[in-house]
Amino acid sequence: MSVLPLDAADDVATEPVPPAQRRRGLPYFLRRPGGLFGAVWLVFMLAASLTASLWRPYEVAEQDLANRLALPSGAHLLGTDPLGRDLLSRIFSAGAEPLLAAAVTVLVAFGIGLPLALIAAERGRRVERVISRVTEVFLALPATILLLAVIGVIGVRTFIIMAILGVLISAAVYRVMLGVAQSVRQRLYVDAARVNGLGSLRVNLVHVLPSMATVVAVQAAQLYGIGLLIVAGLAFLGFGPAEPAPSWGFMIQDASSYVFNAPWLLVPTGLVLALTVVAANELADAIAGKASIARTPTRRKRPLARAIAAARGDAAPADPAAILEVRDLDVSVDDGPALVTGVSFTLRPGRVLGLVGESGCGKTMTARSLMGLLPDGVSVSGGSILWQGRELVALPDKELTAIRGREIAMISQEPMVALDPMFSIAYQLVQPLRRIRGAGKAEARTIAAELLRQVGIVDAERVLKSYPHELSGGMAQRVAIALALTGEPKLLIADEPTTALDVTVQAEILSLLRALVRDTGLSVVIVSHDLGVVADICDDVAVMYAGAVVEDGSAVAVLDEPAHPYTMALLGANPHVPDGEPVPERLASIPGTVPPPGSWPTGCRFAGRCQFVQEKCTVPFPALPAHGAGSVLCVRVDEIARAGATWEADDIGAEVAPGAGLTAEPIATEPAATAGGIR
Amino acid sequence: MLGYVARRLAMAVGTVLAAVVISFLLVHISDSTPGAVRLGPGATEAQIAAENEVLGWNRPLVVQFFDYLGDLVRGDLGTSLIDGRSIGADLADRVPVTASIALFATLLSGVVGVCIGVTAAVRGGRVSRFLMTGSGVALSLPAFWVGVLLVYVLAIQTGLFPATGYVEFATDPAGWATSLAIPVLTLTVGGAAIIARTANAGMREALAQEHIRTLRAMGTPEWRIRYVHALRFASLPVVSVLGIQFIALFGGSVIIENLFALPGLGQAGQFAAASSDIPALIGVVVVATVVVVITNLLLDLLVAALDPKVRTA
Repeated sequence: MSVLPLDAADDVATEPVPPAQRRRGLPYFLRRPGGLFGAVWLVFMLAASLTASLWRPYEVAEQDLANRLALPSGAHLLGTDPLGRDLLSRIFSAGAEPLLAAAVTVLVAFGIGLPLALIAAERGRRVERVISRVTEVFLALPATILLLAVIGVIGVRTFIIMAILGVLISAAVYRVMLGVAQSVRQRLYVDAARVNGLGSLRVNLVHVLPSMATVVAVQAAQLYGIGLLIVAGLAFLGFGPAEPAPSWGFMIQDASSYVFNAPWLLVPTGLVLALTVVAANELADAIAGKASIARTPTRRKRPLARAIAAARGDAAPADPAAILEVRDLDVSVDDGPALVTGVSFTLRPGRVLGLVGESGCGKTMTARSLMGLLPDGVSVSGGSILWQGRELVALPDKELTAIRGREIAMISQEPMVALDPMFSIAYQLVQPLRRIRGAGKAEARTIAAELLRQVGIVDAERVLKSYPHELSGGMAQRVAIALALTGEPKLLIADEPTTALDVTVQAEILSLLRALVRDTGLSVVIVSHDLGVVADICDDVAVMYAGAVVEDGSAVAVLDEPAHPYTMALLGANPHVPDGEPVPERLASIPGTVPPPGSWPTGCRFAGRCQFVQEKCTVPFPALPAHGAGSVLCVRVDEIARAGATWEADDIGAEVAPGAGLTAEPIATEPAATAGGIR
Repeated sequence: MLGYVARRLAMAVGTVLAAVVISFLLVHISDSTPGAVRLGPGATEAQIAAENEVLGWNRPLVVQFFDYLGDLVRGDLGTSLIDGRSIGADLADRVPVTASIALFATLLSGVVGVCIGVTAAVRGGRVSRFLMTGSGVALSLPAFWVGVLLVYVLAIQTGLFPATGYVEFATDPAGWATSLAIPVLTLTVGGAAIIARTANAGMREALAQEHIRTLRAMGTPEWRIRYVHALRFASLPVVSVLGIQFIALFGGSVIIENLFALPGLGQAGQFAAASSDIPALIGVVVVATVVVVITNLLLDLLVAALDPKVRTA
């Protein structure tokens, strides 16, 4: 009767169930086969056991001596025991005690553990510490052995014993619930409720408890299963109802002594007990929603992209000087909407290309597709990525792996989580150096130190010995850049490399990147929503909106003379004003949000938010050449240019600007002059 | 680090003290007395009272408590009320039996569970669903039922291992190993299932980490990503649960020892409970608590050694 550890609460969603799942009909967990089985079986067992005396075919002690140890038959549906007693009658007559006693354990454990957790979460650190220390002691006590001691003292009183077990287990319940209660309390609306003057009891009852309901239900169902096993285990040891009264545990004990000549005797009782515990656990899993997490996609398939690539084969780039040429790239969710459509750009050696736009415009998906590192269930569905004359789309993973790190490397947005927390910096740098450059152990370590110095880390030796959690964000990003350089790549993909960093550190990292480009001839694709970064470092820029490039060209041309209204809007929403420029009276904003993939309008995808929208914007149109080798995707671009119009900061925009999610996030370095629109 | 160890040690001592206090109070609030237990059902009230006087039962509770504590510090757990044997010596023979079952079952659970959990996490799809559903069922099965089923298959049908009984390691090492086989396998069924779930969740979480993507972007071979980096990340929760598992198996060994007639600590607890042998009961509780506390200490140190965040703090 091992006391199973309760699953940690972080397995379980603490968020309230989304309303969509709650809608009419069965609760969500009953729609899963496991949950339905669990609930139905438990209800059936409870009903059948409590009413057993009404329907059972034989009395529990009634002996049919002619039919001892009988197999199932018409007279005895589940067979008989060594004294010829009917198993079916005995199993269900025995059911009520474990089913109810396990419930007592659950009630007592939660009756103590849950209020304690709520109090500890509410009253702050000191109270929490005292309660936690006491429960830690309880947790370390051997529960089963203590129960035996209790039995030795008070005798076999199942319900009292199981209540005492509940007291012992309440410590485990407290520990799980404390974590949940604390995280729920941290949510804003609980604070809001408190500020609004709700009493502590009301805050707990109205706001905290309902959010914990899922976890409580999961843990309770699990604990119920454990309780069942313990009641049966005690009865197995002889600490249950005395003969001739039946108990599951003792019936299995009895069966174990007849296992030589009557193995069937084991089956009915054991199966009923096992099914009941399985039912409790399945119900717990269904409530926790684990089944949905378990449904992982199998290996990734890219049939469409593969077919495209097979038809085309490797081709010469249109621009012979280009190192990377992306043509008409489509990225989409498998069997779902497109995330990126028709993206094209060209990158020459030693140049820096910026992909800019708001969140959700497909910049990161575009960047990640260059390395074949799209998330599960997302793939390139069309177009071409030509890397040094080689087609990367639909290249087998094995060949892509050979390119990753050696030819193309990547740094990401969150340097603190980009490095493996379990390994030292030295290990993480030395390992790819040995693999890619074939360096020996000592040599690799020397190169690692050199790389760290190259990215501006002075005390390289100390950093080599450190672990990621010992580094600051800026330092971690430098290490991540050094890591990316271990394979001497020709292209670096930088996905929002400075977004998570302090402003001063941002500038340092950008100047580091600039120095690397200058010194090593590295090409860079940098993803950013920050026009400041683009103006600072990029040679070329591609502005993306809703999965498409709306304007591209040299950075100077696009930023100085934006042709697309979206680019204008991004620049107009810029709060940074260079020295000597007049401060605009109010910042422009872009009303609305980027439409999610699958709901893009036909024609111009920006039409819904554009100040210059007209009837013709809703009809599809091709991109027009602009900024020399660049392009712009706007049907009214010439009219807007002729009128000299710019994005206008309107009152609504100004009001809405500080609101969440309604403004463009960008920060641009170009000033926004206000002039008349051409509505 | 030193402060951390000192705090854990203080907790350990506190836990053992709590175990003594709880079992002491438990014994004294009940209406049975050691005199009655020793003399058996035939004794008169007067005889019981006299016997209680001899045993020192009527002294103030505090005096008895510190008396017991003093003996405990010297390693004296008293003598049994039933047959007068030394409880300390008896339990010293029993702890290795229980400890070896619990240890082997924990280790085997770890190996089997990690293999299952990691395979399910890496393969995904139908394989994952099959393995995880199987684990969910396996951890719900009552150990005593599984034990009998295994006896039926492995002892009666195939005769691979003896059904019950215990052979001393000193007398016959091979016999000792086979006598532990079925008990260990029985405990492994549920234990491996729990570890499989933990390892699976840990592995999934690990593979979804940002730093795994960094490794992919560096062209790191898939085997290294999975079995060096992700597994290392998942090892922390697995080791913690393995420790809890050992404690649960150690404390919960009573059923298995009863089923397989193994002379372990749990069996002693069952005998003592059945005969209300009060000093023996307290002894079992204290010894079990000491083992649990020591395991917890070792576990904390192991986790600290595995986790750079704790190690370098």
